[in-house]
Formats: sequence, structure tokens, C-alpha cells
Amino acid sequence: MGLTDKDNEIIDQQGPGFVITSVDKLVNWARTGSMWPVTLGLACCGIEMMHSAAARYDTDRFGVFYRPSPRQSDVMIVAGTLVNKMAPALRKVYDQMAEPKWVISMGSCANGGGYYHHSYSVVRGCDQIIPVDIYVPGCPPTAEALINGIIELQKKIKAEESIANG
Amino acid sequence: MDKNLHIDIIKTKLTEFNVGFLENEQNLILEIDQADLINVCKILKTNSDLDYCMLIDVCAVDYLTYGEADWTTNDATNSGYSRAVKQTIIPEADETFTDRFAVFYQLLSLTYNERLTLKVFTTELNPPSVPSLNKIWNSANWFEREAFDLMGIHFKGHPDLRRILTDYGFIGHPFRKDFPTNGNLEVVYDEDEERVIYRPVSISTRPSVPKVIRDKNDRE
Repeated sequence: MGLTDKDNEIIDQQGPGFVITSVDKLVNWARTGSMWPVTLGLACCGIEMMHSAAARYDTDRFGVFYRPSPRQSDVMIVAGTLVNKMAPALRKVYDQMAEPKWVISMGSCANGGGYYHHSYSVVRGCDQIIPVDIYVPGCPPTAEALINGIIELQKKIKAEESIANG
Repeated sequence: MDKNLHIDIIKTKLTEFNVGFLENEQNLILEIDQADLINVCKILKTNSDLDYCMLIDVCAVDYLTYGEADWTTNDATNSGYSRAVKQTIIPEADETFTDRFAVFYQLLSLTYNERLTLKVFTTELNPPSVPSLNKIWNSANWFEREAFDLMGIHFKGHPDLRRILTDYGFIGHPFRKDFPTNGNLEVVYDEDEERVIYRPVSISTRPSVPKVIRDKNDRE
């Protein structure tokens, strides 16, 4: 729970029974421990996202557990090519997610159009439509790369001080 | 069955039509007049000696720049290519160029394990049109919608001819040779309006000519 050496020292002195932490650390611990992403597999990256969720990599170890509804989600993983026709729907799904919410852009297409950058029908990066927190490079990124992105997002959330800064 | 025998059967069944036989080792291609299309297809499907019961695919081809290339290869060696370096500009669509579009139909006879390709040129432009085969093969429905969407071929008699792939309200037919690769519009989220909006495309066209060729072109 983000305890420092000093915290541990106090616990050792007082014996078990209570812990001391800041509200921010507690909140961030809770947030990073249950990042539920909305399932948004748009192309081949979606297959790799499924691999990361399946038995071998098992993102449930991090509390990352895919949800079918944006109302139940904290994270949006944009996995795959975002086409013009899908863009308004993607924004609608993002708007329906409850705060606080984060976005992981997975793969070249979601990062910046990638292979389809010069196409007539593809959005040149999903950050044209929604704000992105973490970009995972690759075409498609491996399941390990996505998990690395998830861990990086956890680090980013842990650095937030939403209570202390009002 | 012997392939030549099968070709002979097709020839005897279609004697009353103007049919061009374009053969190669793998494929048999029949080039037929647009006016004959429906009747030829009815015979191909219903005749028990042919029995082309399955329409595998429909596709359209734009011959606007046929035979022209941005860059051509004169010869190839182990060390590389030597290429001509004249850049062509895509011509304007000409009203008199009526053979611009052709529609190809891929057929399969499950009974005789034979495949056949039909080739039909559109005889008019604005809009290019051919008769719909939806009443003969039901699978033509979405294939023809796709060809209409991407190439702008109008299939006369189609029950529901509307776009199938491109964006709602999309203008133009993107697989045509005179359609810009980058398109005309791009989507972006507008913070003030709080919705996804369309705006003119912000990137410039990327030439398909390789850089080494372009640089050579600049030098000469």
C-alpha cells in the first residue's frame, strides 16, 4: 500500500492492528488494483489484447478484467484501426465511461493511423477523438507489450495526487 | 471432366450470344455484352450440363489508367532496376470513354467442379450501369452493393442499392482511379461543439513513386 520504511518502522513499534497511509495512496492503490477496461477490439490488436487477458498472461492478476459496458469501466484500450465510421461511436463510448477514466492506445493504427495513415477512411490516431494516456507501439504489440503499457498506466495513476491537490 | 469438352459445351449452349472466349491455363473468361448478361447467366445456372449454381464474387475494375504507369522497369539485374522516370497525371474522366468500367463475376459449378469468370463492360458512363443478377444468385446482393459503394457501378434492378462499407454520408467512390487516396474529409473531435466533426483532409497526397525514382526524376 505504498508504505515507506518509516511507516514500517511505526508498525513494528506499535505492533499489528493498524496501518498508516495517505488518502491519496489508498485511493490510488484501489484504482490501480482494479482497472477494468472496456472491450474495444477493433482489428488484429484485439486478438493480441485477448491473448493478454487469456490464461497464459492473465491480466486478471493485475485486476484488469474486461467489461462489456463503458459504465463499468475505468480504462479504454483502443486496440486496432479506428476508422471514420467508428469515430463517433468510440467517442460516445468514451463519454459514457464514469470518471476517473484513462485511455490506452494500442498499436500503430490507434497511435497515429499506422499503415493506413494515408487512407481515405482511417482516423490518423485515436488521439484525434479522445485524450490518450499511454501509447503502446507495435503492429500489433505483443501481449507482453500491452501488459507493460498497463503497468506504465498503473505507475502514472500512482503518481497522481488528486486529494492533496484538491 | 475434360476441360476442353466443358468449354465446347459452353460454346454450344451460348451460340446465340456474342461471347468472347479469353482463356489461359488456369481460367476461362467469357466476355459478354451487357444486354446478354441476364440471359447468359440464366443458361449458365439452370442448364444441367453447366450448373453454375454458385456466384463466388463480383468485382469491378476501373480501366482509366490501364496500361499507364508512374514508373516502368526496363530491365532488372542482380544489383537493381533501371526505370523510366516520367510521372503521369491521372486523366480526367472522358464522357466518350465508355469502356472505363468492367464488372467481373466469378462462378462455380459444384456439380462439375468448374470455375468460370464473366467479364462485362459497362456501356455507359454517368452512371456506369449493368443489370443486377440478384434474382439469379442471391449472393449478388451484397457483392453488388460493395461494387456500387467503392466503384459507383449502378446495378439496375437491385432491390436495395445503397452503400455497405464507407462512412455514413460518404461522397465519392474510393476505388476509382480518379479518387484521391487521402480522401477529401477527415474526422476530429471538436472540444467546443463536443462532438466528432468532419473537416477537409489535412495531409497532402503521397506519391506512389519510390524516392530513388523521384530523386532521379529531379536530377534529369
